[in-house]
Amino acid sequence: MYRIASYLHLSANMNSGIDLQGTFIESLKDLGLSPGLAKLVWMPLPMLLMLIGATVGVLVAVWLERKISAAAQQRIGPEYAGPLGVLQPVVDGIKLVFKEDIIPAKSDAWLFTLGPVLVVIPVFLSYLIVPFGQHLAITDVNVGIFLWIALSSIAPIGLLMSGYASNNKYSLLGGLRAAAQSISYEIPLALAVLAIVMMSNSLSTIDIVEQQSGYGILGWNIWRQPVGFVIFWIAALAECERLPFDLPEAEEELVAGYQTEYAGMKFALFYLGSYVNLILSALVFSVLYLGGWESPIPMDRLAGWIGVSENTPWLQVITATIGITMTLFKAYFLVFTAILLRWTVPRVRIDQLLNLGWKFLLPVSLVNLLLTAALKLTFPIAFGG
Amino acid sequence: MFKILKQISDYAKESFQAAKYIGEGLSVTFDHMGRRPITVQYPYEKLVPSERFRGRIHYEFDKCISCEVCVRVCPINLPVVNWEFDKKSKKKKLNHYSIDFGVCIFCGNCVEYCPTNCLSMTEEYELATYDRHELNYDNVALGRLPYKVTQDPMVTPLRELGYLPKGVMDPHDLPAGTQRAGKHPEDIVEEMKSKASEEEKVN
Amino acid sequence: MNIAEGVQIVSFGILGTTMLAAALGVVLLSNIVYSAFLLGGVFVSMAGIYLLLNADFVAAAQILIYVGAINVLILFAIMLVNKQEDFSAVPKRWIRNGATAIVCFGLFALLGTMVLITPWSIAPATAVAVQDTVVEIGKHFFSDYLLPFELASVLLLMAMVGAIILARRDFIPEQLGVQQTALTLPEQPRESSAGSIASDEMPSS
Repeated sequence: MYRIASYLHLSANMNSGIDLQGTFIESLKDLGLSPGLAKLVWMPLPMLLMLIGATVGVLVAVWLERKISAAAQQRIGPEYAGPLGVLQPVVDGIKLVFKEDIIPAKSDAWLFTLGPVLVVIPVFLSYLIVPFGQHLAITDVNVGIFLWIALSSIAPIGLLMSGYASNNKYSLLGGLRAAAQSISYEIPLALAVLAIVMMSNSLSTIDIVEQQSGYGILGWNIWRQPVGFVIFWIAALAECERLPFDLPEAEEELVAGYQTEYAGMKFALFYLGSYVNLILSALVFSVLYLGGWESPIPMDRLAGWIGVSENTPWLQVITATIGITMTLFKAYFLVFTAILLRWTVPRVRIDQLLNLGWKFLLPVSLVNLLLTAALKLTFPIAFGG
Repeated sequence: MFKILKQISDYAKESFQAAKYIGEGLSVTFDHMGRRPITVQYPYEKLVPSERFRGRIHYEFDKCISCEVCVRVCPINLPVVNWEFDKKSKKKKLNHYSIDFGVCIFCGNCVEYCPTNCLSMTEEYELATYDRHELNYDNVALGRLPYKVTQDPMVTPLRELGYLPKGVMDPHDLPAGTQRAGKHPEDIVEEMKSKASEEEKVN
Repeated sequence: MNIAEGVQIVSFGILGTTMLAAALGVVLLSNIVYSAFLLGGVFVSMAGIYLLLNADFVAAAQILIYVGAINVLILFAIMLVNKQEDFSAVPKRWIRNGATAIVCFGLFALLGTMVLITPWSIAPATAVAVQDTVVEIGKHFFSDYLLPFELASVLLLMAMVGAIILARRDFIPEQLGVQQTALTLPEQPRESSAGSIASDEMPSS
């Protein structure tokens, strides 16, 4: 339990990095609180921060989606709510909160309510493992990336539940499609992740990023795992039900899939969940393949060239800021490519989707895994011995 | 053995081809992002309808001679001409005239054939109502002055692409009096006149 | 008792109660879909208990495999199959009931004795949390638990072969006299044409 309980990763080497938790607890102790109580006060803070951060991230992603979609179609997009329409997602959210909460008469009220909750909670929980810096992660679980895969496998149950409870054929079909899709793309996803894990000898996201550090952009996993990179992105898009794979909510066929009967806050949960999932996938992607918080030019070398010690406080603050910015920048770049793909690629059919998953991605990712293992044994220096 | 190898290489080629096509598609989408938005922000900005726009039909009661040509040329005999024979003057006396714009297809045949030009096309196209029966315009409604985009102080009139000067793509903030690309009909007439007069001089 | 212990005890209580309640629901509820969903609840609370035991990898694997795969497959099976069968009394039903009762009681007795004879108390000195659980599990799998590990993989292989054979229907000889038309699930009751027409004509409520 204490592993999951939220605390910022306490480093053994207190010098190398910012220890927010330690400083916070120390200052609380100075105010006269007992150490246990100080820790208790600290505990909910990162969780709350993450929750707010994820929600704000979603607002930004929704705005980006609408603006970029508009630009790709030579429209203007949201314009009136705030400058450049940045407040449009907030307005949408407020609207959804105040809308009537409808539960269809012949639906299963309990499952109908539980479905969206089950879809959203695992996605938010998965944010636990996303690192924004060496010491800026909610928790350094040593099964990190595996936890993400495990948690993302809960979502199909929620989708099936809402599809079944809506008592609507489109909802049921959408739910079944969503579950089939996420089960079949989870395997290539996991195999692509496994190749990375094999190279970095750890499931922890922080270790995975550290293994890529040191050589700037050249050290990133994208160069060592070009195939895994593509597989992961395809599978991640399918897991998020983004456009080439948005069959579960294909409006031309299934109205809105499992969301058909939902309105108000429950619909908002689905909406929120899908965008949080997209950003989460982008974040994990940047951690796995694009070196997480590492900037293209390694910061410590830069510091070495200028002649500043690594332990200088201002340098640490700058490094942390650059780390967070880099992670977010990479993630949002990936969100951008997802949006661009959305307006480029037409939706696949369900048989094409399953063919792609089982007959293309699965064998290719298995070969990729074997190849990585072989390369790791032959060139232990380049492939993490 | 070689057959399998060939299959594999074909499959790989196909996959690369597919990836290439997706890449090309992405570049097209990306290219579109840099283009000018073609949005017309409708209630605040409106396009000026083109010269031969077929909008709501305007009707002048006093010009009408109740000949019913409009009814005969109409594909569905839509105009209702309610007249009676006035025995004193031995002429048709028009009581009512109406066109139902909920049914009209704006083909313009009535306007084309009207012998007295009492029917004409306007630029008005905002005909939406809450009740379809309100679209049945009687002679009073048909005789109202048409709405003009350029005369509405609330609206920024925008020119359509064909009416913009050469090389200009954005209809916003055009300097006043700019002409569209190419010659206007009146210019052509003027030119022809001057040419003819020159030829006369030569002769 | 410090905060960490308190949190552990409270969460153990919550997890235990939800697990027991959900398990009872699986058995007692008449709606089979509810049972399947509650089974997911049982699996999740078991994962929580693994987490309390510092077995984080096992917990994640539990969620991934049992909740994410097995439970979803069960739900799929329930939702896709709509086989309706009339209840018919089986002759000599008491034999089946008796056999079931004996097996269930035997299992219960086995588990009960196991609970009673296992020394649960761990000496506090040895109860050091393993830091890298994945590495430890791997070591055990490839040394002292090698045989069960390999046997499990053979079992899974067999299941996979069976699934492939089931999926490729050309390996199974078609049943005689049954015309399988396109766009019908094999599980659906195949009615005669007269019956289907009659059902088509029934007014839909």
